Amino acid sequence: MRALCWNGVNDLRVERVPDPTILGPQDAIIKVSLSSVCGSDLHLIGGYVPTMRAGDIIGHEFLGEVVEKGPEVTRLNRGDRVITVSIIGCGKCWHCQHEEFSLCDNSNPQPAFEEAAYGHCTAGIFGYSHAFGGYAGSHAEYIRVPFADTNCFRVPEGVTDEQAVFVSDAVPTGYMAADMGNIKPGDVVAVWGCGGVGQMAMKSAFLMGAERVIGIDRFPDRLRAAQMKAGAETLDYSRVDIYDALLAMTGGRGPDVCIDAVGMEADSGASAIEDLYDRGKQALRLENDRPAVLRQMIQCCRKGGTLSIVGVYGGLIDKFPMGAAMNKALTFRMGQQHGQRYVKRLFEHIEKDDLDPSYLLTHKWALDDAPQGYRMFKEKADDCMRVVFAP
Amino acid sequence: MTRGRDGGRRLEGSAGTLERWAAILGGTALGFAGARRGSWALAALGGGLFLAGAAGVPLSSPLRQAALPAMRREPTTTQANVTIAVPAEKLFRHWRNVRHLAALFPHLDAVEILSDTESRWKAHGPGGVPVVWNSRLDKVRENELITWHTLEGADLPHRGTVLFRPAPGGRGTEVSLTLAYHPPGGVGGNAVSRLFGTAPEQQAREALRRLKRIMEVGELPTIDGQPSGRAERGGSRSRMQEVTG
Repeated sequence: MRALCWNGVNDLRVERVPDPTILGPQDAIIKVSLSSVCGSDLHLIGGYVPTMRAGDIIGHEFLGEVVEKGPEVTRLNRGDRVITVSIIGCGKCWHCQHEEFSLCDNSNPQPAFEEAAYGHCTAGIFGYSHAFGGYAGSHAEYIRVPFADTNCFRVPEGVTDEQAVFVSDAVPTGYMAADMGNIKPGDVVAVWGCGGVGQMAMKSAFLMGAERVIGIDRFPDRLRAAQMKAGAETLDYSRVDIYDALLAMTGGRGPDVCIDAVGMEADSGASAIEDLYDRGKQALRLENDRPAVLRQMIQCCRKGGTLSIVGVYGGLIDKFPMGAAMNKALTFRMGQQHGQRYVKRLFEHIEKDDLDPSYLLTHKWALDDAPQGYRMFKEKADDCMRVVFAP
Repeated sequence: MTRGRDGGRRLEGSAGTLERWAAILGGTALGFAGARRGSWALAALGGGLFLAGAAGVPLSSPLRQAALPAMRREPTTTQANVTIAVPAEKLFRHWRNVRHLAALFPHLDAVEILSDTESRWKAHGPGGVPVVWNSRLDKVRENELITWHTLEGADLPHRGTVLFRPAPGGRGTEVSLTLAYHPPGGVGGNAVSRLFGTAPEQQAREALRRLKRIMEVGELPTIDGQPSGRAERGGSRSRMQEVTG
């Protein structure tokens, strides 16, 4: 089959590789029909995650058809149109039983990396480096899914392919960001980052009763989409001081809930001194994760408010304003998405037309054009929100 | 899953102080090196070493043992711990059937039951060197504890204990595996020592991880045999397109 392989920093190639086969009794093979790019892939492509190996197939947000299944797969049939949650749960460990699928004890076949770096290992993720299991990704004609009964979900008739594909990752991640904010009616929610996940967090915040949602970014097309599609008010951090603007918009209180949908490669947009500090450190490569958004959220959030973090961080950060966080009694919640917990609810929202993620798909290309697709996504050219590949 | 050596004993005296400073400084250097190379794992390891040094966690003995396996002749104790979401009875029954244990230790070839308390074990060392020992159960407390020791003439003399105790809040069962052994000397001893002596924590930890995965999900998750663009998998690697971003 053809697959998009990572061969080194910014070196992606479509290659001919063997077809996947059933390796465990709970596996299924999915014929991929749509597979989307994701912002977190950019960290892998850019070489920020050291456990990538040349030849790894990337991609983790996809929709397809079940073509083969292992003897212990009972809830799926050949021909089923399914999405697969990007983060793999075994379905049986204590965490999976408690719907914390991204904390699965068993789905990562290579736990040593994470145990060394993080103290414990978390779930395997498709096409997301060997620290997260080394599973082959979805930018391919076929993909093997372990523990298919737990991780694959049949797509309801009334939901289109273009809507469903994002239920793998972007929609549940945004939904979980809002869910972790514990939003109450009347709350003001600020979302840093107006990409796919940020947009979904905004829509979800409204579904959960937010009074106002404020989206923060600097790309005009994303700000426009946040306004037109997600119903948010918007702030361009390259033009206004975010702290001043947010306090002005909230009667000096600050947002009740602050959501980080940016992560480790944040643009600073901060004060001159802070910006200088971050850029200096970045130039010297003294710190990998740039915590500009985290610092800003801690500063802006109302006293006693909640920070919800779904932007991806990899390693260590410093100059973290713990004094502000502690004295303002902030709550921090974070994590990779527990998509399996939300899929059913999300399909219901889509069927009722509360939520339509299909607008995230701005470009649909052939798999053969995937390297250019990623370049476009990275450069955010042509108002690109997400490129989806159809093998 | 936790691992421990020396029962988590804290360092004492001037050697400990020196070691702590070495860990702190080494950890800092490693952290910066990792960050400079964009390697967060290395950076995190450096950070961990720094913290271990600052907290006085013993590091030099495992490091010394890793670096100089031949010099180590003292008995070694290693322990691994895991919580398995399965009742103690089920785990006890599984472990009590020693035939099941071959699946937990990949170097084991066969386990032969000689009597109610004795069994014969065959494993292979590097280069296929056969390693054989007889083992006898000491104490068996239903659903709680199994201890054993090897008999005279064993290639790998050791004592072992596996302990099962209920985890709080319905989390299943906490399992501890402790192994104490003298690394063997003599002919073939080095090979055996290399196999069993240099990474005992990892072996104990891996064994409990396999037990957990077998008991919880009924299979060992793997990526062996999946496709990639690497030639080693035997896949024809014809480049269809090359574009660099």
